[in-house]
Amino acid sequence: MDLFWQQLINGLSLGALYALIAVGYTVVYGIVQLINFAHGEIFMVGAFGAFATWVVMGSPKQMSWQAAVFGLLPAMIVGGMIVSVSVALLTERLAYRPLRDAPRLAPLITAIGISVFLQEVVRLFFGTIPGMPDAKRAIPFPTVTGISGRSFQIGTVTVQNSAVFTIAALAVCTVFLWFFVNRTKTGRAMVATSQDPDTARLMGINVDRVIMSAFAVGAALAAIAGVAHGMRYGNIDFRMGFLAGLKAFTAAVLGGIGNINGAVVGGLVLGVVESMATTFIPGQFGSPAWKDVWAFVLLILVLVFRPQGLLGAKVVDRA
Amino acid sequence: MSDTTTSANRLARYQTSAHIAGVVAAVLGIVSVLLPWSYAHEPLDDVAYYGAPSPLQYNYLGLMVIVLVMFGAPLALRRKGKFRDRIAWNTGARFGGYAMLATALVAVAGIGIEAGGLVNVDPGGWIAVAAGVLATAAGLVLLPSAAPRTGTFRTPAWGQILAIAVGLAAVLFAAAYALGLTDSGAFLFYLTFALGLALTLVRVGLFGWLAQCAADNKKVLVFAAFLVAFLFPFTQNGSDANMSIATQVLFFSATALGLNIVVGMVGLLDLGYIAFLGAGAFTSASLSGSLFAHINWHPPFIVTVLISGVVSSLLGLLIGTPTLRVSGDYLAIVTLAFGEIFRITMNNLDGSDGPNITNGSNGINNVPELGLFGFNFGDPHVMLGVTIGRFANYFWLMLIVLALIMVVFVNLNRSRIGRGWVAIREDELAAEAMGVNTFGLKLLAFAGGAFLAGVAGSVKAHYDVSVTPDQYVFLESAFLLAAVVLGGMGTVMGVLVGATVLKLLPEKLRFFSDYRLMLFGLLLVFMMRFRPEGIIADERRQLEFHAEDEELAEEVEGELIAYHDHYNPDAAKTEELR
Amino acid sequence: MNRRIAKLAAVTFVAGTLALTGCGSRAGNTTTGTSGGAVKIAKIGVIAPLSGDLSALGLGIKNSVDLAIKQANESNAIPGWKLELAAEDDQATPDVGKNAATKLSSDPLVVGVVGTLNSSVAQSVTPVLQPAHIVQVSPANTGPGLTQGNDLTKPSRPYDNYFRTCTTDAVQGPTAATYLLSVGINKVATIHDKKTYGQGLVEAFTKAFTAGGGTIVAAQTINPDDKDFSAVITNVKAAKPAAVYYGGEYPQAGPLSKQMKAAGLNVPLMGGDGIFDPAYVDLAGSAANGDLATSVGAPVETLASAKAFITAYKAAGYKDPYAAYGAQSYDAANAIINALKTSLAKASDAKSARADTVAAMSSVSFDGATGKVAFDKFGDTVSKVITVYKVTNGKWGTEKTLS
Repeated sequence: MDLFWQQLINGLSLGALYALIAVGYTVVYGIVQLINFAHGEIFMVGAFGAFATWVVMGSPKQMSWQAAVFGLLPAMIVGGMIVSVSVALLTERLAYRPLRDAPRLAPLITAIGISVFLQEVVRLFFGTIPGMPDAKRAIPFPTVTGISGRSFQIGTVTVQNSAVFTIAALAVCTVFLWFFVNRTKTGRAMVATSQDPDTARLMGINVDRVIMSAFAVGAALAAIAGVAHGMRYGNIDFRMGFLAGLKAFTAAVLGGIGNINGAVVGGLVLGVVESMATTFIPGQFGSPAWKDVWAFVLLILVLVFRPQGLLGAKVVDRA
Repeated sequence: MSDTTTSANRLARYQTSAHIAGVVAAVLGIVSVLLPWSYAHEPLDDVAYYGAPSPLQYNYLGLMVIVLVMFGAPLALRRKGKFRDRIAWNTGARFGGYAMLATALVAVAGIGIEAGGLVNVDPGGWIAVAAGVLATAAGLVLLPSAAPRTGTFRTPAWGQILAIAVGLAAVLFAAAYALGLTDSGAFLFYLTFALGLALTLVRVGLFGWLAQCAADNKKVLVFAAFLVAFLFPFTQNGSDANMSIATQVLFFSATALGLNIVVGMVGLLDLGYIAFLGAGAFTSASLSGSLFAHINWHPPFIVTVLISGVVSSLLGLLIGTPTLRVSGDYLAIVTLAFGEIFRITMNNLDGSDGPNITNGSNGINNVPELGLFGFNFGDPHVMLGVTIGRFANYFWLMLIVLALIMVVFVNLNRSRIGRGWVAIREDELAAEAMGVNTFGLKLLAFAGGAFLAGVAGSVKAHYDVSVTPDQYVFLESAFLLAAVVLGGMGTVMGVLVGATVLKLLPEKLRFFSDYRLMLFGLLLVFMMRFRPEGIIADERRQLEFHAEDEELAEEVEGELIAYHDHYNPDAAKTEELR
Repeated sequence: MNRRIAKLAAVTFVAGTLALTGCGSRAGNTTTGTSGGAVKIAKIGVIAPLSGDLSALGLGIKNSVDLAIKQANESNAIPGWKLELAAEDDQATPDVGKNAATKLSSDPLVVGVVGTLNSSVAQSVTPVLQPAHIVQVSPANTGPGLTQGNDLTKPSRPYDNYFRTCTTDAVQGPTAATYLLSVGINKVATIHDKKTYGQGLVEAFTKAFTAGGGTIVAAQTINPDDKDFSAVITNVKAAKPAAVYYGGEYPQAGPLSKQMKAAGLNVPLMGGDGIFDPAYVDLAGSAANGDLATSVGAPVETLASAKAFITAYKAAGYKDPYAAYGAQSYDAANAIINALKTSLAKASDAKSARADTVAAMSSVSFDGATGKVAFDKFGDTVSKVITVYKVTNGKWGTEKTLS
């Protein structure tokens, strides 16, 4: 039973990470029906942005936990967001917008191109920025005193401080998103556009701006996820977005793509399933080496039995 | 409008001078060849001698002669006639000038980089650049000619066939020569030269004439093309280095053609295609009788090929059945996930995390050479005085496989199934409304593509000797996709061109190998943005991406009618009667 | 008229350039390539990652081989023959490595190859070199299967042309087991990355550790490109080991150590030469302190026989350091050169000496930079020295040398 609670905590914190990224897929898909395949790379770029912010701040190493949690951490998150949001808006403006009326294959292929391109740019050129380490191999993420590498016990269950941070960040973001979508003008415009873009345009909504804000919101949450990833795993590297992006997409489909609450629920469920599978599937197939396979098998099962996802997709299936 | 007319009038006065300047430039180019281009011997293929041009310089010399003819012909052909009017001398001359400049600049840059500084460029090199500048300037002054109408030259059948033979032989020798260049600078120089030359000849109208010859003798052309490919190993004189690259190009092309059915014809984005290749390879390796294999049954290769294909297509059905029912977008991600599942599973079937089938990441090594009808593909043999090695054997086998896939592809394209696929690609809802069984056809394409990949994979296992999960990763799928997109979705020629370019360039241009992936990512973005139909476009496909282009629409429509008439001569006649 | 102008221009330019560059002496050099005369040429190839993530190791290998060749040419080690280097990049990928091997084997002047760095690349390189009878000496492949075949209980040599100057996992694993038992640790959890190297290391370790009286309390695997080890760590932690033995390389081992300690599993992690790299300490941060690694050979800097190599390497002025496998590569090249002394002596051309070189390898024996260099009947090196290193204060330090 101890193992159950331990894996539940592991799963929830992993799932919170997936959920933060999944929101980006779901918001963009809800409005333009585009699988922004490069979103995983936006997450990666956000983490590198946070790291770069730390370097720009003079690579502070020793500090009190108050200074780290209330000074360094917010600064890194904001720095990461600035980078990830700029990159996301650039890709939208330069690559996706010209293809808005093109056949569906075109933006998907573009997205793959952007994904490969961003990975390679970071790999090849991050180290050429003065002061930055070579990104050809993993870079140790800065230690945030009080969070990184710390844990506490509840009974026999170990809870890492970084897990608490991730789950808390998800909770705050969910509340913020609810407020944004339901109480702000931009948010309501997003809902209107996702329901009927043409009518929304006729009603005077600037669809271009709505689409850009969707990309920006997704990228901002991805940057938070990037920081959370850095603290959880201690390292960042240029490949980190590929698998994380794939899992987050799975989470979005699981919850019902286009549905923001669905992305949150889907992420948490996926994380828990993945963790539990490594402990409670008996025999060789329960080995941690299979955990990614179980996550993707879940994706395929959802598509067979409940293509609209757990909470129901906001977008009707359009071929 | 009036602006261009006046500027044209102004330019008209200088036409003769421009022609003369062009001739001078060409002669300058010829002179430059007789002088050393570089002080050091290392750059290019040693261009440091007086009066003794290197092979590359002889090629350049050829270009000079052609440019000389381009600029000189209008001077010589004063009287009206078909040679003066139907050939686009001026446009050809302009592009010849560009080609001269580009080639010379590449040469100078290559010398500068390889020898460490532009100091090493000798006067010959600078004269070549000056000649290029002069020719380009002269070309810019020239008024563009009317579109060439060389297709209207009447040529006897033997002349046409001779032209095809000469053209293909030129391609064969150019390919063999280019492959033989080991120096990156020399390869780049040759590439620029060949592209420039080809472009010049296209502009002048030679290709229009060749295309007419080809169209009149389609079967001869296809046969000759395969004959040329078949003859390729004889140009290599028993050397394995280039044969292995050429064989890899064929493997890559065959796989890309399979992917092209799925992506190009039906419009299903399959991002895990490499997994089907891997499934075929692992199946074939397991049944091959390798000491590392864990299945103790070694059927003859013909059976293995079929089993590999069936295994791959079963996997395709397994993935396709749930995902093809929902939106096409899901397919992209699910196939991507499937690629990951495949790789991880192959890693895990190692005895510690699952049954031992693949030896995990060590893979199945020592796959024996292919044996077919008692012929061992590992044995070299001597044919016409040239040693035909292991790679050449596989090259020929893959050529046959490639030919089969092409036959399937072309015939499908014209069949009921093919038309159904295109209908799905263009508008699935409309297709369904017209009674096309969209799900069935999509599943057929998906599983069929997987089958082809499985077949290619089963040969690849023997060719590669070892089969490991690392060979079948997502980036390889992205690579295949890039080949299809670059060349032209839905066309055979395009994919062959795309695959050759993507496989050959990194082999020959080592200095750019680190930037390879980044450039390919960029390539995908730019192709989608500016030329989504690829280098060699399928016209129907082109129309799809450029829906507003009226002229193109009419052209395609006209061709479709002609095509229809060709296959239904009676219908055409009846229409005429009406 | 245009012809006259052209002629004039041509004449002017020819005259001008002749005046500019002056002497035509370079035209006389045409025969440099063919004027070999009495001295015949043989090439020693290198197949290693010369670009990409592992290029630091690969360039060290290439330079060390180059050094050995230069020294042999200077001392005229093989009368009548001049040796040349032919280096090819394998980008640490089997496919590229195979192309490199094909290229070298089709060059009639190549008689031997030093390489590869990765065991997985060797698996596709060696089958290409073997039919051409080109001797291959690896300075870094530690996978036992390359010399002993797939089934280690019944060793049989798969490739007669394959030799290596480094010890294998079959030696490294047991040494680690002996060391852990000697410091009183007898409950260990093993984790490996399922690659040839990691798995072999853990298997060899497990066998020796249980034979020595220790218990393996948990055996787990990760995927080579994993970043999230929480599931593995949870499973391992439940088994309460006193140490974790990891088979794999530093890109995963560093984060693993960091995540282990963050999750409250405060026991040392021990690994093979794959984690013995400064980058490991970078990645694991302060969590690395107390972690252990074994590596092949005695520490190069402390060996008397290696000092000459290091001095010569520094004197030669290479841009890149000799890195982890420099001394082994230098020995590998010298082993080939020693074999060539016998095989080339009576050979008319390089290609015909290939098979003789392979045969001569088994009798090679000399004192190299890493100690005595000689090969057993499988092609493995006879010297089996292993050193245990430990991280203290963020740096690798020598703990113990065992043989």
